[in-house]
Parts: sequence; C-alpha cells; structure tokens
Amino acid sequence: MSDQNAEMSRMRGLMLVAGREIRVRGLSRANVISLIVTVVIVGILAALPAIIGDDGPTEVGLAGANAPAMEAQLEAVGDYETTVYDDADGAEQAVADGEVEAAVADGKLYSEDGVDAELQAVLDSAWQAASVEANLAAAGLTPEESQQALATESLESVTLSEGGVNSTLDYFAGLIISIVMFMMLMTPVQYIAMGVVEEKSSRIVEILLTSLKPWQLLGGKVIGLGVISLINLVAMVAVGLGVAAGTGRLDSLPDGMASAALSSIGWWLVAFALFGTLAGGVGSLVSRQEDAGSVLTPLIMSLTLSYLGAIFLLNAPTSTFAQILSIVPPFSGITMPTRMAITDVPAWEIALALGLLAAAAVGALALGATLYKRSVLYTGSRLKLTEALKRAA
Amino acid sequence: MLEIKDLKKRFGDTVALDGVSLSAEPGEVVGFVGANGAGKTTAMRIAMGVLAADSGEIVYNGAPLGTEQRRRFGYMPSERGLYPKMKTGDQIAYFGELHGMSRAEAKRSTAELLEQLNLTGRIGDNVQDLSLGNQQRVQLAVSLVHDPEVLILDEPFSGLDPIAVDVMGTALKERAAAGAPVIFSSHQLDLVERLCDSVVIIGAGKIIASGSVEELKAREVKQLRVRVDTAEDLTAQLPGKVERDGEDYLVEGADDQEVLRIAAAAGRVTHFAYDQPTIAEIFREAVTK
Repeated sequence: MSDQNAEMSRMRGLMLVAGREIRVRGLSRANVISLIVTVVIVGILAALPAIIGDDGPTEVGLAGANAPAMEAQLEAVGDYETTVYDDADGAEQAVADGEVEAAVADGKLYSEDGVDAELQAVLDSAWQAASVEANLAAAGLTPEESQQALATESLESVTLSEGGVNSTLDYFAGLIISIVMFMMLMTPVQYIAMGVVEEKSSRIVEILLTSLKPWQLLGGKVIGLGVISLINLVAMVAVGLGVAAGTGRLDSLPDGMASAALSSIGWWLVAFALFGTLAGGVGSLVSRQEDAGSVLTPLIMSLTLSYLGAIFLLNAPTSTFAQILSIVPPFSGITMPTRMAITDVPAWEIALALGLLAAAAVGALALGATLYKRSVLYTGSRLKLTEALKRAA
Repeated sequence: MLEIKDLKKRFGDTVALDGVSLSAEPGEVVGFVGANGAGKTTAMRIAMGVLAADSGEIVYNGAPLGTEQRRRFGYMPSERGLYPKMKTGDQIAYFGELHGMSRAEAKRSTAELLEQLNLTGRIGDNVQDLSLGNQQRVQLAVSLVHDPEVLILDEPFSGLDPIAVDVMGTALKERAAAGAPVIFSSHQLDLVERLCDSVVIIGAGKIIASGSVEELKAREVKQLRVRVDTAEDLTAQLPGKVERDGEDYLVEGADDQEVLRIAAAAGRVTHFAYDQPTIAEIFREAVTK
C-alpha cells in the first residue's frame, strides 16, 4: 500500500470516528433538546430589550402652581407623558387608580410604592427648575430673563485611567463570553471522558483498536465533540443576533462585541484541545462509568476556577491578579477572552497568554494521548496516573 | 496462510506466553483449546495487534503482518463489546467502514448479514434493547461485515443458544470454504471436534499438543475394542492385557491380527476397532500430563 493511501486511510479512520460521535451524540435526544432549550432562552434574552423598551413613555401626573413649568421641563427631557390635574387630590387619585406611575403636586411626590432612582432624579430636577423659575418670576424677572439665568451646559466627561471598564454593556459581553466559554468546555469535556469510559467498559475498544490507532480513536472523539459544540454555539449566536436584528436592536450592541465573539472562538479551540485530550486521557484510567467522576475532578475544578476567575476579573479588570489570571494557562482560556471583552488588553499580554495556552495544549495532547494509549486496554480498578505513565504501551 | 511464530509475553512476573507457535492454512479451521488462563486470549490479542508481544512475530502469506492487512481480518474478542446506544444496522455498517469499506458497501453487507442472522427486523433498534443472544449475533456480524480474509474468534460460542451455535458454526465453515484461515478458541470441545480440521492445545503458555483431529486421535489410541457374538468367555484366550467393558473386550499391547483370528474362531465379530478418544479426553490427558 502506497504512502498516500496509508495517509488517506489514517485520515479516514479519524473522520469516521468523529462522524460517529457527531451522529450519535449530536443527534441524540438529550443534545437536540438541550440545544432547542438553549436557543429558545437565547432568543428570549435577545428579544428582552425590545419587549421591555416597548412599554412606552412613563406617565406622570401634575397638579398645583408649578404644573405648567414642570410639564415644559419633562417634555424637554422626553419620553415622559404628562397629565395635568385640577388639584393634588385628583393627582393622588390618578396614582391610586394606576392612570399614572407618579404624580407631583404642591411639593409632594405621590406614588404607589416609591419610584426608581432615575424617575426620582428627573422629577427632582424638574421640580427644582420649575421652582427656581417660579421664584425668579416672583422676583420680577421676565420669562426670557429667567430662562437665560437658568441656561447651563451639562458636564463633559473626561476619563483619566485607560483600560477601565468601557461600559455596562461590555460588562455583560464579558459575562456572556465567560459563561458560554465555560459551558462550551465543560459539556464536551464530560462527554469525551464518558465516551472513552463507555468504549472501555463495553470492551468495544478491543475491536476498534484492531482497525484504528489509539490516536485516531481519541482524536476523532475530541474532533467530533468539538464540532458538535461549535454547531451549538453557531446556532446560539445566529439566533441571538437574528432576533436582535429582527427587533432592530443590533445597533445597540457594543462596538467590540463581534470581534470579541470571533476571537473567543479561537481561544475556545486552543482551550478545548487542552481540556478535551486531557479528559480522554484521564477517562481511560477507569473502567467503569461510576469512577469517571473522580478522575475528571481536577479538570472540572480547573474549569470552575477559570470561570470564577473570570467573574472576579469582570469586577476588577485592571487588578494585578486579573492580569496574572488571564495569562496563566489553563485559566487564560476563559479569563483572557473575558478580559478582552471588558477592557483593553496590551497586545503583548494577549500574545503571551495565547503562546502559553498553546504550549500547554501541546503538552496536554502529548500527555492525554500517552495516558490513553497506555491504559485504554487495561481493565480493572482505577489506574493511578503514575502507574499509567510507567506502563508500556 | 497465517503463522504465529514463537510468541513470548510476560505481565510483570507472570509468564503468559512462552514460545507459542501455531498456523492456519487457507480454508483450515483451527480449534484453540486450553484451560482458563492458559494464554489463548493473550495469543489472539497479539495476533490482532491489540497487544504487543515481548518477542515473536505474526506472519501472513510469508511476510510480517501489517496494519493494513490486519484491517481485513475479522476479530471477536472474548470480552464482547458493542455500543449499547447505537442502532444495530448503523453499528455493523460503522465497523465495515472502519475496516475500509465504502459506506454503500458496508450498508449492503450489513443488510445481507442481518438477513442471514434473522435480525433484519431489528436493524433500527439500539443494541442495548436486544436480547443477549441477539447481541451475540450482532457481535458476529461486526466481525464478518467486511468479508474478512482471516477470522480470529475468541470464544465465539460462549453464551449462544443451540440455534445461534448452528448459525455461528455454519458461518465459520462458510468462511473457511471461501478460503479464509479460521482460528477460534472454545471450551466446548464437542464443537471443536465437529468443526475443526486441526486442534492446538495450550497449557500454561506453551503449546502441549497440536495436529489434525485424526492425527491427535491416532496418537492417543491404545485400546482395541472387540465384540464377539458368543457365549464363551475369551478373556483367557486373547493375547495381551484384556479387560471387559460390558459385552466388549478391551485389548492392549497385542498383535491386532492375532486378536481378530482368535475372535473370529470363537464366533461372529460384530465390532473390531481401536477406541478413538474424544478431543475432550485428549485435552484432559494433555493438560494433566
């Protein structure tokens, strides 16, 4: 058989294994249902701003001497609909009847059970402006003169620290990236280990290894589950962006969101190579499904710590700890894309983190494949890591 | 022709194989017999490349066996294994593809095998929903789907009902008739005797006897069984060591022609033959030696 044919059959073996994983796991009822549920949730979340934003302007009732002035003030702010009542009692009754959310009359703010900070601030400042206007009028100024006296310019914002949190939206972008990265690593990593144990416990691995090399079997599994995860992710992103575009909210996404999402896929690929092959390697140490949890614990712990690290980082993105956390593998797989979404990261730090993560992934590939090769045919009680490494292939 | 040459394998301090050699010609069915732990499974695993030998080699048609050729072998391990949550038809076809068949070929071959094994109705069922006997049939289909050049089967008959045993036996004979060397291990020695052209007996990692079934039986022959239609007691007249076994005389260490002459003189000889041991007796003899 020629080298080319041998090469082809090697790739074919790898792809057959990956294809089986995609067909059997990807089309399994559990995966299809969880994908549908996730997509529906993502769709609802994406539609939420539109639904909440559509409840129209806030209705405010006004009464008393300052009512016309306040009406003018609130109209200038916009997004408030005002109704003027004859007296304070009428305004109070309107609040009680639910006709208006709040009412201002004779220096009192009526509401059912308090108002939110934003409405309070708007009404306060409108009331003050109206009162000042009334006082100035009482002091003998014409309306034009009082308007001139009241004319002010709003504050201009100047940020001194670079790399601070860009905005609340960036915070949420980072939060979503960290959650999705965590889920996208956790689920396939467990499936890989379970799949390896399934083949071992059902002894089918012995037949498989007569026509496949261990690396094809492990590699095919990692690739197959990676493809399933990517398909799930693409479905989520497509539905999320689709709904956002459909409801006309696409423009309100943060500027860097698209590029952050794209670079996250790159980070995910490297991190998945690391965790996926390690999961296959440690999975081969046990022969029974019940024992899979114990060997997976270190991997699940590091994934959970990476996620918690990302949450910490979201709240203190410029701290030294966050900086270190986002560079050291394997944590950088989740923490760095999160940090990149929320703040500007120097290029050298990104390069260093990626280089270290890639090096760790190569090491994990070697370790995972070695563990797998040496222990996949061993049945019985759980193999210790050191025993597995000492075993001959 | 498949040759297993001088295999040696140790697991830690345990010697599993100590110079095991056996061979199977095209069309030959070889029975591999031995007590539990004698080394059958280890030898077969090494032949299938699942385990590496410490020394020795596997030669196929005159050249060391390579991975590509091995993919055209059919193997059934002693520890049965199937994907429990995969459909029967998909599973068999998947193994066909792993053995180098195209998707269409694998599907066609799967349909044919399921027909032969009376499993056509279960093609879309998950393997875990089949009875144990039917799972065994699927296991056989997995080892036959790619029309293997060589069959190596570890305990293919264990756990089979009598009908499945017949199906399996016929399948082995068919493959052999098509020119495939077939090696299988079994504890059911009556089956070995019925199906095999030759038998290899292994004990504690060493081959203790091997040869065609006739050769082995002839080698162990000792007693001449004679039945004569007469009321007379011939014990004293017959030469050599004579014993009675019911109506029969069992004669050892005598000239058979002389025995025949004396017996014929006494009456009508209704039975005159050397007792042939069963493979089971040969096995017990060989193992306890």
